[in-house]
Amino acid sequence: MSTQSHTARQAELKRQSSGRLMIFGFLSPTLAILLFMVAYPIFSLVYYSFFNFSALRQTTMKPIGLRNYEFLLSDPQLWERFVFTGKFVFICVTLQMLIGIFVGYQLQKNFKGRDIVFTALMMPMMLSPVVVGFLWRYMLNSEWGIVNFLLYSVGLPKVDWLGQANAALWAAAAADTWMWTPFIILLATAAFRGIPETIYEAAEVDGASPTYKFFRITLPMAAPVLFIALILRLIDSFKQYDLFVALTGGGPGTATETVSFAVAKTAFSYFYTGEASALAVILLVIIIGLSMILVRHLQKLGERY
Amino acid sequence: MNKPLRTRLLTSAAALAAGLAASSGAARAVDLTFVWHAGTCADALVEISKDYPDKSVKIVPALVPYGPQWHDKIASEFAIQGDAFDFAMWDSQSTAEFASHAVKINDIFDKSEYLKADIFPPASLSRYGEYPDGSGEFFGLPANQDAYGLTYRKDLFEDPKEQEAFKAKYGRDLAVPQTYQEAKEVAEFFTRPDQGLYGWAQMGGRDYDFATTASNSFLWSFGGELYNPETFEVKGYLDSPASVDGVQAYVDMFKFGPPGSTNWGFDEVNTAIQQGQVAMAMQWFYFNGSNADPKVSKFADKVGFAVLPGAVGRDGKFRRQFSVGGQGMGINKYSKKLPELTKFMEWYFQPEQQKRYAAVCQTGLKSVLESPDWQNLNSYNAQFSKALAYLNDYWHLPEYPILLDELQQEVSAAAAGTKTVQQALSDAAEKNERTLERAGYEIKRGETTPEVPDQNISPVGQDKVVPVE
Repeated sequence: MSTQSHTARQAELKRQSSGRLMIFGFLSPTLAILLFMVAYPIFSLVYYSFFNFSALRQTTMKPIGLRNYEFLLSDPQLWERFVFTGKFVFICVTLQMLIGIFVGYQLQKNFKGRDIVFTALMMPMMLSPVVVGFLWRYMLNSEWGIVNFLLYSVGLPKVDWLGQANAALWAAAAADTWMWTPFIILLATAAFRGIPETIYEAAEVDGASPTYKFFRITLPMAAPVLFIALILRLIDSFKQYDLFVALTGGGPGTATETVSFAVAKTAFSYFYTGEASALAVILLVIIIGLSMILVRHLQKLGERY
Repeated sequence: MNKPLRTRLLTSAAALAAGLAASSGAARAVDLTFVWHAGTCADALVEISKDYPDKSVKIVPALVPYGPQWHDKIASEFAIQGDAFDFAMWDSQSTAEFASHAVKINDIFDKSEYLKADIFPPASLSRYGEYPDGSGEFFGLPANQDAYGLTYRKDLFEDPKEQEAFKAKYGRDLAVPQTYQEAKEVAEFFTRPDQGLYGWAQMGGRDYDFATTASNSFLWSFGGELYNPETFEVKGYLDSPASVDGVQAYVDMFKFGPPGSTNWGFDEVNTAIQQGQVAMAMQWFYFNGSNADPKVSKFADKVGFAVLPGAVGRDGKFRRQFSVGGQGMGINKYSKKLPELTKFMEWYFQPEQQKRYAAVCQTGLKSVLESPDWQNLNSYNAQFSKALAYLNDYWHLPEYPILLDELQQEVSAAAAGTKTVQQALSDAAEKNERTLERAGYEIKRGETTPEVPDQNISPVGQDKVVPVE
């Protein structure tokens, strides 16, 4: 009897291990690609951040420990860029979420021409950020741009949108909001339409007002999806670079240089490869930290609803 | 072997032979890829190259917009020692940065029967290809020369009513200005926002070199300097009283420009010229082809072209100095097609091809530049040839893009009014010195710094205003 049970256990173990082997066999190509595509660049980034090194000016790589980090973190200009990036992210994400949720809520209702309106609203999102940057640059031209033309035609003074630091921030936020609000609309509409109709019917039976239904049913039920949209927009706005290249070039002065703009400039214009790597590591740590906090909140939301 | 099988085998063998022959023909085909910023001159090169007699060679453009992307595309390829392009046009001041990745042109001069240094004006060859300065070592050929110039509304300057009104107000004749002091008065005179007319347009944008190519022209003319190339001092030179005078004069000229022009690039300046919105504009000769073309500009027949003004500095000396533009043609030393490229360049730099190029852009070939045909080809070539005598350039150092960006940040801030000119130039000097020190330059600090740095560094000051007709 015991011999039989031993044999059965052995057969079971063999079956399990061959199953694990098969799982590993299937996963290994993907794992290898991931290691090569993600782990290796991150490892290189961290490694190069400890060197004084330029990929273009081929002098010897000099190990300098944490000096790149010390230099960057003691540079007041970097903190100015973080502050600017923070302001930009806050304005953009707030506007995009508010407008996106409002429009998404309207678009969940069935009305004639809804699909055409929906498709038209998605168009800005399909453009490249550089194209959007140039488009807005021409529209905001102080002398012959359409925006100032409209202001002037209703008796308002022309604004030097891209030549003044504060105005340039709002100009960039407007361009980013124009481009990315459709993304929030897309997700919000999908989330709102996914809420079962029976819940609304029950609320109506109980005499719930439209405002009550929106704040107590629609928003909470759509919260996990909206939160994902928020996370994606936060991360994406934080990395914004190409829009600024085309729209302001980082100016006036350094007023509209985001942290990502500084990374790209340090890496590919200055070719301070070591310093750029250190800056990218700092940015990576911040984004990972931010994402982890938000994902934890998302999990809590998921458990609640 | 039966007959049908033999026929099939013979047919297959013939097809294989034909295939092999075709593939060996295809293997001989060579693509020579070049990087440049998109525009008329790049289009001209492509168009001319279509007539290259060796049809197995094809010139392939890899064009990018003017600005940092153009520099970064070349630099990134050099950084990985790649051969995605075979030759490139880069700014004169980039030669120092790219020299270690470029083919030394002296080697081509030694081997080629036609391509020799003496087919180019020595100053042009030096400007677009020599590194270090005065070394006799070249890493580029003067493919596309350019200079800053003055574009003005002839119809306004020649209007008797305007002439009379100007004389009554300023006590002198209305004429193309020879100094920035005169230009300021003329600009003020024509600034009439109620008529949609402004006196002056210039670049002030933060992008690439927009603001500083313009501000440097003022800075040098007032006797300022970017740095001392012998001691590597920047403080006391870039923010010297004469440099501040120059950049202040540049910033002041925005008062006579269209609102918001502090962030303009060349596109906006061109539009202002082509719409007749400004009486005078500081613009590259490169764009005069379109500004003088009636198909492009409504004011094509009403604009005139001149050499930019100079200035009388605080030491009473007159100087006329402005930014060099244009690009040299350099060869990627990682390219594997040097023999084909050399043959193409020997053909391309022949007078026949360069005459075609000079019809739309500015050639660097001496025989074409010296010919009366070229001088009279259009309304601006004669002025361009005069302008070549007054050119000055940025730092010829490998750290150029960093130094440039630092100066751009500060001059752009001064133009936007967020910093005073003195503060902006002092901050730029501080940053530039830090960059030079990081790169290993030893800054030898002198006991004093000059009020007018040009007096100490390659002086060009003259005792009186020397007009250019």
